[in-house]
Amino acid sequence: MRKLILLSAAAVLLLAGTALAQGRGAGLYRNVPPAPTGPAPKLADGTPDLSGVWLGSGGNDSDISKGLKPGEQVVMLPWAEQLVKKRQSKEDPEANCLPAGIPRGSPYPWRIVQTPTHYFILFEGNIHSYRQIFMNAKHPEDPDPTWYGHSIGHWEGDTLVVDTVGFNDKFWFDYVGHPHTEKLHTIERYRRLDAGNMTIEVTIDDPGAYSKPFTTAGRARIMPNTELLEYICQENNQDLQKLEGPARGPGGR
Amino acid sequence: MNLKRGAVLAAAAMMLSAPAIFAHHSGAAEFDSNKKFDITGVVTKVEWTNPHAHFYLDVKDSSGKVVNWNLELASPNVLIRNGWHRNSVKEGDTVSVKGSQAKDNSSVGTAEVITFPDGHKLNFLYADEPGK
Repeated sequence: MRKLILLSAAAVLLLAGTALAQGRGAGLYRNVPPAPTGPAPKLADGTPDLSGVWLGSGGNDSDISKGLKPGEQVVMLPWAEQLVKKRQSKEDPEANCLPAGIPRGSPYPWRIVQTPTHYFILFEGNIHSYRQIFMNAKHPEDPDPTWYGHSIGHWEGDTLVVDTVGFNDKFWFDYVGHPHTEKLHTIERYRRLDAGNMTIEVTIDDPGAYSKPFTTAGRARIMPNTELLEYICQENNQDLQKLEGPARGPGGR
Repeated sequence: MNLKRGAVLAAAAMMLSAPAIFAHHSGAAEFDSNKKFDITGVVTKVEWTNPHAHFYLDVKDSSGKVVNWNLELASPNVLIRNGWHRNSVKEGDTVSVKGSQAKDNSSVGTAEVITFPDGHKLNFLYADEPGK
């Protein structure tokens, strides 16, 4: 029997690994049709078409240090390391129904909408919020600190590059509680590999909290036959008052 | 415990410990997977809400005292995609629920497997119980 349990545990781990490879959240849903195959679509003017309902995120939402490009490393400054040790699960902004920021995602789908001047990311999870990306624009000189910052985008070949500054220091990169400061600067690279899949790499540059920049390796897949559903996290968040223990606690992540 | 059931429970325990299932918080920070319960009662209320759906169950203990349990499910967006309906569990239904109790020992827990008198089962995520 023990052998069977071990086998079964191994199967679950394998499934979890597959889910990760397919993008976060893929293992949560039943009967999701396979992602479409074929070449990555383009708009009439030749611009890559990223529109659609996607599942996945730019990194490992549980622990950002576990979803990096090969050779990359998260090195926190001493104050940040101390803070992570002190953080409690119930302090996580996401548990408080506040935005997850960049690049932290959720296991729920999101939609990209492309217009000539603005790209929008509409989140089902991540408190049902949205991001706006100003195409071929410039950052303001002194942006007010905000949860999603000020994002500008341009194309480098088939890769959408999104540059964001002007963050507040409030969101956590993951459940573990990796912090950041208002000096955070992110560069996201979205590349649709084919009709059904996309890679998302995010360079995190925050000299206020980390001794050097690091780059994540995330993935997303098209979730066919679904629309975004409502998710108003503040509606009935009974869990918060019952969360116990450190963010990096036993049985944690 | 038969072999298949042991394997399924091991798998379910691992799945439920994964933060992906608790999208906005850690399940391990709220529920204790070592405090299992198996209760039967009558549904008194359903909250088809975010970030989690809940239903409440009047359960009689051995002394005849009725305790109202608050049982947590995944969020409606996940449940709907996995075949649940807002009326899959409704007020007045008699059900048995297996789950994990809140760390603070209150009558709050996860509804890991819900069994109806006719034998059909639902779970925390799906409108059936895998492997059954």
